[in-house]
Amino acid sequence: MAADMVDTLSPYDSLPEHLRALVTDQVEHQGQLALHCLSADQRTMLEHFRTQQGYDFLVDMTAIDHLGMDQPERFEVVYVLRRLGENSQLFRLHVWLSEDSPDLPTVFDLWDSARWGERETHDMFGITFEGNPDLRRFLMPEDYPGFPLLKDYPLRGMGERRQFPRVVPRGDQMAEEEPEDYPTSIGRGMHTPEYTEEVRRDSKPK
Amino acid sequence: MGLESLIGGEGFLTTTVNSIVNWGRKNALWPMPFGTACCAIEMMATFSGRYDISRFGAEVVRFSPRQADLLIVSGRISLKMMPVLQKIYRQMPEPKWVISMGACASCGGVFDTYTLIQGVDQFIPVDVYVPGCPPRPESLLDALLEIQNLVGEERFDSGKHGS
Repeated sequence: MAADMVDTLSPYDSLPEHLRALVTDQVEHQGQLALHCLSADQRTMLEHFRTQQGYDFLVDMTAIDHLGMDQPERFEVVYVLRRLGENSQLFRLHVWLSEDSPDLPTVFDLWDSARWGERETHDMFGITFEGNPDLRRFLMPEDYPGFPLLKDYPLRGMGERRQFPRVVPRGDQMAEEEPEDYPTSIGRGMHTPEYTEEVRRDSKPK
Repeated sequence: MGLESLIGGEGFLTTTVNSIVNWGRKNALWPMPFGTACCAIEMMATFSGRYDISRFGAEVVRFSPRQADLLIVSGRISLKMMPVLQKIYRQMPEPKWVISMGACASCGGVFDTYTLIQGVDQFIPVDVYVPGCPPRPESLLDALLEIQNLVGEERFDSGKHGS
């Protein structure tokens, strides 16, 4: 790689002093930088990277659920940024997000690709992005009640995969039968505090 | 070449309507491919020249369920796909048969998760299961022959025709 194509200053080094104070941690892995910040500063940081440092491409965004792990907050929302038109490294901003109020301001006005990223993150983790006009279900069915990538969501679900009527041949007609074990309540209603506590206990690092 | 050269001239056959209809049906099954994963790749291989499902009279692949009488479910069926599969099954005219191809369609395979149907036979009737991950084309051909046996055993007063 030619020297003039490499970023001379890392995103952290290019930060002004008052924004550097907001970075709680920085991790570099295989040449890729990750900055951490608190949820209150998410908008300030991202606006800076978009407008001042020219990160014009939100490659991806997602979240991590750290339930039961030794981490500052339960959720971590990850923004993967890149500059188009030059050979820039990917760079990530990790935002710590509290379990008690899992919502962040939207950034779709900065990057259009955040519309679907936020929609998917909401679909999978239940994190709300205030200001995003379209937080409909993305991958899951429209009437799906739960948030399946949460660590306290059972891997095998709450019975959703059994809830279809059975098409039964009856004479020359097709009939539909309701399955016997039709779940009466699925979704977040079954996220009892006891269950969450149990998962938290089981997933503690030994 | 065929039957006509054996009979010759204006010969005739004695048979039952049941037998002749079954004979026609089982040698001209029209499959509706419902391919959602890697099994569909093997299914496509079965349809194409090397394995050549047309040797068994089932090469007229219909992408409209209304023109098909054999549903081949090949691949994972998710929560969102199951209603679609049921709708397509219900759109097929009677009589109709179903092959559940591969581990995922038959029992969920390795995907024991919230979103994957653990066997389509819970929600639609399945006639023949094909084991494998994915099954080889020969397995699918074997399943087709099995379906042909089932079709050959059909009677107008019972089974798929019911009463």
